[in-house]
This record gives sequence, C-alpha cells and structure tokens, in this order.
Amino acid sequence: MKPKLSMLSSRDAFAAVGDPTRRRVLDLLAQGELPVRRIAAPFAMSRPAISQHLRILRDARLVRVRRAGREHYYRLHARPLREVYDWVSHYERFWKGKLKALGSFLDREERRERDKSGGQA
Amino acid sequence: MTYPHPPEKVWRALTDSQAIAQWLMKNDFKAELGHKFQFHLEPKPRGWTGVVDCEVLEVDPPRRLAYSWCGSGIDTVVRWTLEPAAEGTRVRLEHNGFRGMRGWMVSRMLGKGWSSRILAKNIPELLSRWSGEGAVPDVPEAHCTTRK
Repeated sequence: MKPKLSMLSSRDAFAAVGDPTRRRVLDLLAQGELPVRRIAAPFAMSRPAISQHLRILRDARLVRVRRAGREHYYRLHARPLREVYDWVSHYERFWKGKLKALGSFLDREERRERDKSGGQA
Repeated sequence: MTYPHPPEKVWRALTDSQAIAQWLMKNDFKAELGHKFQFHLEPKPRGWTGVVDCEVLEVDPPRRLAYSWCGSGIDTVVRWTLEPAAEGTRVRLEHNGFRGMRGWMVSRMLGKGWSSRILAKNIPELLSRWSGEGAVPDVPEAHCTTRK
C-alpha cells in the first residue's frame, strides 16, 4: 500500500532535522531568504555537499526555493516542523507514562515476593 | 529516574519478555545480541499500525541495554542505562534522534533566534499545545521493515 503523502513528508521532515548541519542551515534561513553561496559560506563543506542538504530540506518541504537569474534563493518553510514537534512530544509523553508504569511494576513485584517469602516463613 | 529497587530487579523488568509486557508492550524480546523482535501496542493507536520493529544492539547486564526502534517510519535507538544508587537504581532512558532535536526545536519555537514573524505564520497555537494538554497526535504509519 502506498503511504499517504502527509505521513511520508513528516517522516522526511523528521530525518531532515535529525542532522545538525541541516538544523544550522534552517537557523541561517530563519534570518531570511539566502542564495546558496551565502548558505554555504559558514560551512567547511563543498557546494555539492550543501546542495545535497538543501535538496533533503526541500524534499521535506522545510525550505522553498526561488530562482532569480543564475542564483537559487532558499527560504524557510517551518510548517512541517510542527508535525515533527508533535511527534517528539508524543514520544515524550509515551515514555513518561511507561517509566511510571515500570515503577509500579517493580513495586508490585516486590510486594508479591515479600508476600510469598512471608508465607513460607 | 530512580527506582527504589536493586539493578538486578530493574534489569529483569527490562529484559524479561513477560515482565516487559506488563509495563511496556507485548513483545517477543530476548536479551540476546542481534535478536530481532517486535513490540505490539494494543489497542492499536489511531493512525498507526501499532507495531515497532526492533533489534537488540547491546546487552550488558545489569547496566546497559539498547535496541533499535523502528516504528512510525522512524529509525531510532532506545538505550537504557542502569546505575546503582544509594536509594536503589538510577535509570536513564535515551530515545535517540529525539534528544538534541527537542532542545533545538523548543528554542526555535520559543523564538530564540527565529523571528516571531516566522513563528506566527507557520506555527500557530503551538505553544498552547506545548503545555501538554490536548489529544495525543496521530503517529504516522510505519514504513521501514524489519531489518534483514
């Protein structure tokens, strides 16, 4: 079955912001629209490497691109971040609940063992 | 998180399949390096298959346990670290891929570094949701399959 587009895109957004370089690129673009050469400037990285990161960000719909003359200008499109954020929050709540359940389980087990050994004594 | 129980007890709760089923999820876990297993969440959450594909990556009783966690299309790693403490056992849980990201996202969304214009345009009502109220969001379906 073909996955729904929205599901795919949020997974891509997740993978896209999982990388620290791409997070720095998003930080740069948060100041405003920039041409590729300006995006690449702070990174000790080849232009093709930066272009690859930009492509991943574009596929994840986290950036938008505009061509003006010979230059490509990128700008931030932060909306997909919200899905990622929701997702992270979801897991945080999930684990918080599970860690609490682990505590209750351990307490229950201890009581059971105590009752058992008490019964045998 | 510190539990008032010795590390061996906590370790058992983390590695015995039946014990895990009682506090985490139904599973076919075995504490063997390379063992592939699944967690099954029941009832299935809205919008998700409820299956997590995993592989044991590290077993070092009673201290360290790690498994891959491939669910909802995300390939991540869950890592448990146990440390004896005066009051019992200190348990650290890391779900990789989430950690650094969360801090980054929160600081951006709270406007440190990102202009409020961007936030207002793109991320409305986020902060109210951040308070932890409201429905648990749908988790997208799993796309990655069990690793061969």
